[in-house]
Amino acid sequence: MSPLPANSAHTPALSPEERLDKRRLILRDTASLASLFAITAVLFVITWFFFRSFEHHREELAQRWLTRGQTEMQKGHPVQAVYALRSALAYSPGRRDMEIQLATALAAAGRTQEAIAYFSNLHDAAPGDGIINLQLARLAAKQKNSGAETQRDYEAALDGTWQGDGYTRRREVRLEMAAWLIGRHDFDRARTQLLVAAGNAPDDPAIKLQIAGLLEQAQDPESALRIYSAVARRKPVSLDALEGAGRTAFEISRYETARLWLERVTGHPEFSTRPEAERSANQDMLNISVRLLNLYPGPGLNMRPRAERVLYAKKTASARMAACAAAQPQNALALADLTTRWHQLPASPKPLQLEQQPELEESVMQLVFDTERATAGLCGAPAGDDALLLRMAQIPVAHDQD
Amino acid sequence: MEIKEASRGAATGANAQAVRPAAAEVNLSRIAPTRDERLFLVLSIFIGVISGLLVVSFRVAIEWIGILTLGSAPHPGQLRLLFVPAAAGLLVAALVIWFFPGARGSGVNQTKAALYIYNGYISFRTVIGKFITSAIAIGAGHSLGPEDPSLQIGAGVASMIARRLRLSRQRLRMFAPIGAAAGLAAAFNAPISAILFVIEEVIGNWSAAVLGSVVLAAISSVVVARWFWGAEPMFRIPSVSLRNPQELIAYAVLGIAGGLLAPIFSRALGFLRPRLRAMPPWTRYGQPALAGLLVGAIGYFGFPQVMGSGYGVIDQAMHGQYVWQFLVALTLLKLLATTLSFSSGTPGGMFAPTLFIGAMLGAAVGTFEKHFFPHLTGTIGAYSLVGMGVLFAGFLRAPLTSVFMVLEVSGNYSIILPVILANTIAYLLSRSLQPVPIFETFTHQDGLELPSMEEQREELVLHLEDALRPVEVPVASGSDSIEAASRLVAGSRASAFLVQLADGTWYAMTAEELTAAAAAHSPSAALVTALRPDRTPMLFPDLPLESALHHFPRWPLLPVLNRANRSVLEGVVALDDILRRYRTP
Repeated sequence: MSPLPANSAHTPALSPEERLDKRRLILRDTASLASLFAITAVLFVITWFFFRSFEHHREELAQRWLTRGQTEMQKGHPVQAVYALRSALAYSPGRRDMEIQLATALAAAGRTQEAIAYFSNLHDAAPGDGIINLQLARLAAKQKNSGAETQRDYEAALDGTWQGDGYTRRREVRLEMAAWLIGRHDFDRARTQLLVAAGNAPDDPAIKLQIAGLLEQAQDPESALRIYSAVARRKPVSLDALEGAGRTAFEISRYETARLWLERVTGHPEFSTRPEAERSANQDMLNISVRLLNLYPGPGLNMRPRAERVLYAKKTASARMAACAAAQPQNALALADLTTRWHQLPASPKPLQLEQQPELEESVMQLVFDTERATAGLCGAPAGDDALLLRMAQIPVAHDQD
Repeated sequence: MEIKEASRGAATGANAQAVRPAAAEVNLSRIAPTRDERLFLVLSIFIGVISGLLVVSFRVAIEWIGILTLGSAPHPGQLRLLFVPAAAGLLVAALVIWFFPGARGSGVNQTKAALYIYNGYISFRTVIGKFITSAIAIGAGHSLGPEDPSLQIGAGVASMIARRLRLSRQRLRMFAPIGAAAGLAAAFNAPISAILFVIEEVIGNWSAAVLGSVVLAAISSVVVARWFWGAEPMFRIPSVSLRNPQELIAYAVLGIAGGLLAPIFSRALGFLRPRLRAMPPWTRYGQPALAGLLVGAIGYFGFPQVMGSGYGVIDQAMHGQYVWQFLVALTLLKLLATTLSFSSGTPGGMFAPTLFIGAMLGAAVGTFEKHFFPHLTGTIGAYSLVGMGVLFAGFLRAPLTSVFMVLEVSGNYSIILPVILANTIAYLLSRSLQPVPIFETFTHQDGLELPSMEEQREELVLHLEDALRPVEVPVASGSDSIEAASRLVAGSRASAFLVQLADGTWYAMTAEELTAAAAAHSPSAALVTALRPDRTPMLFPDLPLESALHHFPRWPLLPVLNRANRSVLEGVVALDDILRRYRTP
């Protein structure tokens, strides 16, 4: 049973005193509610000023600690940076840039487990973020985790989102990944990444030289030579590109090409400023190339000089075999087949004889190469012209390419 | 004891307050009978708004004091970490002893005492004292939280407003939980959890009379809090999902860990608190200072994260900033620090430390599992979040609140399965290891007899079916003659019998009544003509046993009917049956 309202017909009418009491009560309640409202308004204003002032102070503190953290990182003090960045985050929680900087600082400070935990958590929130995947890849590489995990993180970084400079950052990630693969002697995968990077690289000599250098490390000197050559043809001429072109051409036995690039290297105005070891290496490669080209009886030569070079090679190899056979009694036995083949050749063929019998010329050179290979195995690495003949023997068709 | 001391002065005021409305009620019931009811809802909004504003100021004050005293970035090795909490402890102890005796403790039991003992009276001085002393203690590094004080501040605001409006004693008492819900809702930025907690732990039941106002106040306070802090949840929760059901095993492990840790925490408090309280009164000046020194030492020697409420650290743990070994250390050290701070009588709450310990435990389990079982997909944040709920369920023993709190602070429903699983395990395990809940332990230590909400929830309610006996008494029809009915009753020798009437109603008639009817009516007259106009109440087997009690002065026995077919009897009950059932253990 709900109580009946006061003005119900069943309720006796209020007396004059009660009506007065009721008016007083209404007035008092109105005044109380009004004062309550006023108190609320005043409290609101005070709280608002208090809160705004505090928020402003928090923002200042966050910025101050962030700046300090960044400065410490630049100075190479990651431990102090961790402390500062953590403080910054306490005043500005959820700032993604700060979180990434903190995790990076943790990694730099050697707190790898914390960094991994932090980056993993950031990764959970943003699995497609390029920088987070890259950092995870770096940490996995540092931890010497399974290659598959590191590669997966690197690939996720390549496919991930990057803010603003995605094109550049992806190339950097690709080169970093290639360097990591080279470190693991996974040259095939490294080459693949480098060739993709080379295909997408901007027309910037520095970047091209970097890619070419990595290709050399990935045991792909031919691709590296192409890039070096392209850069070396640009003005102003880059000494690094010339050196790279000469070095890689030499490495793949394209001695004529190597000679051309190395002559330009030694003639470059900046060559003298290079370290002695580097200059010496370039000079040696040039000398070898020149001498080898002078020895080689290439098909482009006239018949007479070609025959003379064949005869010189025969004489040099013959002397090498005699010396090797004499050095150890068992060598003579090992070289018996070659000795027989030497005896089957004309004792002192004339240049004219070689000019008239190309087959003989070919047989002589084949015997020269076989002799140099066999004696190198029995009597150690040769020196002088024997070494050059051996080089020719090992890649006899290489210099045909030039 | 502390509540007694705090409320000694208050009791006088409460009685005075109680007299005033009593005198006024005579007039009010005539001149404005619906006044209280109407004001109740309006005032609930005011209570919510003012509580919200005070809680925002309270939280800001804590952080300001923290920055001013401990610096903007406390780190190990700073001497101030040692001395600031100790000095703050000394100051707070002096303030509490000299000026604000009601500010001691967390605030939850004080609010319950206000509700059940002091007619909802919480003094203005207690509110101010709670604000100041808790802000100083928590800001200066004591390992306590701001939620329980917020709850008491809200209840105090409600009490003051209700007194100012001179509401009735009954209404005055109801306002304490309304304000408590408002204060807690603003502190947590989670209205549902606050409402549930107040119902689970303060009121103890779903009272329709107060629920509307509690909801209104909680929502008002959260609106105010969000106006300042934004609508984001209290914690920045990373993406949470359960992709692999096998992961529930990992969450179950977390539930077990929480269920084991919660009783340790309870026992530590249950052990230290009464011992410190039993020491000579003069030592109460030094206890908070010593606790502050020890907590400061923990910070000074490497773990400043345990100081203060620790929300920032919870956030960092959720975002995977710590390794599991460090998280385990934080879990144990926070437990120690909170035990010291709280047992020393320093004003401050238990909620934040509980959440902290749970979050660290969860993050430790999550980090460990992520490291050693990387195929499990749950984020550290998810484990940390579930860990908070686990400790909440296991330590504070508010299982329903614990589930909703996690859902509310995460804003993510997909975590419901792990939360329910882990919380249930923790709750059951904790109950079996520590039967007395922590708030009840404190109540007993304070020498009070407040109702145990956990017991109330689980109290066995007896129903009519528990006292029901088969229908052995005669059953006559209303159309039977009085003579036939007399024969029927005489044959059974029963002192009363049931009469089924044509309209489906029933009547329980005594033999004496039948004799009188036979004397007054013709023997061939229908029995129905001799019955009084009233009928036995409609009772069903599932109704509470007590619902039948007040019918017995009128009826000798009562028929219990089938709900599907009211002409079918399930049995009968007499007063003796009910009393016998109550006597049976």
